[in-house]
Amino acid sequence: MSDWQYDWYVLGAIALLVLCSLLTRSGYFMFGDLLPLTERMRRALRFAPVAALAAIIIPELLPWAYGDTPRLDIKALASLVAVLVFIRTRNAVWVIVAGMVSFWLIRAVMP
Amino acid sequence: MSAFTRLSALLPSAQDRVHMRAGFIDFIPALIATVVWGFVTGVAMVKSGLSGLEATLMTLFVYAGSAQLTALPLIESHAPLWLIFTAGFIVNIRFIIFGAALQPFFRHLSWKKRLGLGYITSDMVFVLFMSKYGDSKERGSREHLWYYLGIILPGWLSWQIASLSGIVLSAYVPPSWSLEFAAILALLALLIPLVNNRAMWACLVTASVIAWVGQALPLRLGLVAAVLGGVLAGVAAEQLQRHRDAR
Repeated sequence: MSDWQYDWYVLGAIALLVLCSLLTRSGYFMFGDLLPLTERMRRALRFAPVAALAAIIIPELLPWAYGDTPRLDIKALASLVAVLVFIRTRNAVWVIVAGMVSFWLIRAVMP
Repeated sequence: MSAFTRLSALLPSAQDRVHMRAGFIDFIPALIATVVWGFVTGVAMVKSGLSGLEATLMTLFVYAGSAQLTALPLIESHAPLWLIFTAGFIVNIRFIIFGAALQPFFRHLSWKKRLGLGYITSDMVFVLFMSKYGDSKERGSREHLWYYLGIILPGWLSWQIASLSGIVLSAYVPPSWSLEFAAILALLALLIPLVNNRAMWACLVTASVIAWVGQALPLRLGLVAAVLGGVLAGVAAEQLQRHRDAR
């Protein structure tokens, strides 16, 4: 992709994300009286965010490709620390702080 | 109606301001998280290769941290646009559920007001609003509207200021800090509290395994497969649980 093609690609992505925001956030506020959501649908949709977030996070933490020797990524270890900190504190800010600090520490210690 | 009476109907009365302040006070604990998150998102956008203008547009008009953070690795790996849209939509699905719950409180307003109120809604307003008014019989009073505004307006403003600062200051954040990892940690902080029962665990484990194995698939189809698998696993686990409880 050339530079200008990439810029258009990014702008296209932003425009589509704006559409996402409009549809998901304002959709019900605008047309709620016309679109009753069935109880079954509502229950099933509750699981979608968890599945989507896991699907984004896991490949970032545990990347692999054909031919690679398996190795433990520093990010996976640091995330483990972050999760433990969250279980203790229930605080989103501490998760970010603990995860970053342990990431830097592990990277400094590991060869 | 004269222009003056129309204008004064829009301005908050003393009573409205009391409700708005109540909303703001309830929002304060979430303010720090919003600011840190906004700043991290601002930095992450620039570090993923977006220009300052593109990152600013994204912040101002998308205004959805988790969808933005989700889209960044996809944009960086030149994923097809339909996949970026799908991923952003899925992460935002929770807003459909929030919207369905909040809509009865605002259905009496004009479509323009409903569009605006929905567009700058947030996770926090849902949690705070529904825990305060979820059980109330009355729907759609001025109190509801101004309490809601008391949360979403400072929420929008603090997010935008933090995010724009992140965009401007990202040049001073050296790459060796790997601050883009903070964006993943922010998603992790969003994920963990959602996993609060067995059915959610089933969904999480299934989606994670499929996502890990599915990395080899082209077009990041592993992501789509993981979402479908995760939702199905969650629904199945919930049904199994109910079946067992019934016996």
